[in-house]
Amino acid sequence: MRWWPYLVASEIRKILAFRSDFWITFLGQALIQILIARALWQTIFESTAKQVMKGFTLESMTLYYVIVPLGSRMLTGENMGFLSREIYEGTFTRYLIYPISFFHYKTITYLTYSAFYGLQLGLIFILYQAFHGGISFQVILNLLNGIFFFMMASFVYANLSMLIELLSIWADNIWSLMVMVRFLVFFLGGAYVPLDFFPGIMNQILQFTPFPYVVGLPVMVTMGLTSMKDQIIGCGVLLLWAIIFGILSRFIWKKGQYQYAGVGI
Amino acid sequence: MIRVRNLKKTFTSHIKEPGLVGSLKSLVKRKKITKEALKSINLDISQGEIVGLIGANGAGKTTLVKILAGIVHPSEGDVSILGFTPWERDNHYRRQMSLIMGQKSQVWWDLPALDSFLLLKEIYQIKDQPYKKNLEFLADTLMIKEQLKTQVRKLSLGERMKIELMAALLHEPRVIFMDEPTIGLDISAQKAVREFMKNYQREFKPITILTSHYMEDIKELCHRIVIIKEGSFVFDGPLTQIQRMVGDEKCVKVTTKDTSFTFNVPRSELSSTTAEIFKSNEVLDLNIHDPSIEDIIESIMKHGIKTT
Repeated sequence: MRWWPYLVASEIRKILAFRSDFWITFLGQALIQILIARALWQTIFESTAKQVMKGFTLESMTLYYVIVPLGSRMLTGENMGFLSREIYEGTFTRYLIYPISFFHYKTITYLTYSAFYGLQLGLIFILYQAFHGGISFQVILNLLNGIFFFMMASFVYANLSMLIELLSIWADNIWSLMVMVRFLVFFLGGAYVPLDFFPGIMNQILQFTPFPYVVGLPVMVTMGLTSMKDQIIGCGVLLLWAIIFGILSRFIWKKGQYQYAGVGI
Repeated sequence: MIRVRNLKKTFTSHIKEPGLVGSLKSLVKRKKITKEALKSINLDISQGEIVGLIGANGAGKTTLVKILAGIVHPSEGDVSILGFTPWERDNHYRRQMSLIMGQKSQVWWDLPALDSFLLLKEIYQIKDQPYKKNLEFLADTLMIKEQLKTQVRKLSLGERMKIELMAALLHEPRVIFMDEPTIGLDISAQKAVREFMKNYQREFKPITILTSHYMEDIKELCHRIVIIKEGSFVFDGPLTQIQRMVGDEKCVKVTTKDTSFTFNVPRSELSSTTAEIFKSNEVLDLNIHDPSIEDIIESIMKHGIKTT
């Protein structure tokens, strides 16, 4: 595994090779999503004439939507569909030729992207806090803790993505399945609407799924709104789901390698 | 060395009737077809040997290479390469093997070649000294030193192929599989790649299997050729044997008012055959020459001449 720092360095060079994409994501995408969310919730707060909704003020709700788009970007790591496209086009073959584990290679690549987007999250979060509420030691600590939780969540999502994308060995095109899973994860994870707005029974059921832990929990940790106990439980649950998805994706690959035909080469 | 015994590979795929109705039907029910890509292949190759694998499109060349490189699992049979079973993908085997695909890039497109090489150095665990030596040797021989710091996707096709060759050979593989290494290259780039491979083979003596549709590649690089037709070997022997096999034949090309055709005929029957042609056709042109290697191989691929 001496090669992984070099892989991380290569992947960072790749990200930085596309300057426009870097700035569009960094400023454009995050800024637009934050402004839309702010405008939407401002209207909702004004129309209901409430100061607090499910524990959120307009300010904390805005902060929630500052964190969500960048955290989501961390979660999805490497571009969605990259692995299935490699399988479809035959470039996947390189991982079978190189004397390294395909799973290690892909996971490291994925987490490199996540960590990089984590830097973006950190910068924008600090910028936002500088103008709203101020920066304190506790705020920085919450941010670092939140990034750690997003990295854990990215690890879970990386294993889930691999599990789904490996299905393209059989199905060729699994784009709609990926979009569906992504929507489910984000919706049921609280990326579109905070989980506190979900009905009580639904929230209870969701605790048995990985969804609240991959989006909602890291966002709340970043905002400093979770207890240590919840964080420890969250860590354990994320690890458990990472193991489950990891085992399943390896099982799929074990079956799939007999089916893989290296089409396209 | 490479030892292949009774290797078989069957692929299952789906077919769809043409047109909209066919597409709609395939949503509910698809017709499955099975194709035998390889039928009981046997092959032995010694260290230092370079073998040309020739066959028409779909004959099974690439399938064989994919199995030997460990990308695809066979349906039946045994393969041992340097004592390893390729599809078990033992890292010790993968560190001694290389696959060069003319139609697929294996280096990272968005990075300069040197960055890719650094990563490959670590992946293949190449020590500093041999890495530097090989990098210099390959860059000098392929005359690509100037382009190593340019993003790979910005290079020309010929330059990219040279980068692919460098990436594949940095770790001094003992087994090399080359699938159409000169495809799409201009004449001078083809010549450069062939010249380089000749030197490399002389210097490092790897086992090399080369598949190519360019007969120049085969003639220049391979002493031994294997012709594959519909999943079976129809010829396995020295290139010179092919020339001897038909040494007694002449190639006749006839152009008439309506058509033109080419065929081989034994030297002893040449005069009677040409007389017959003149009698029954309105001949515009008649050309008689010794069959070229290309003609012979094409004939073997079409008619499957069985040899020992």
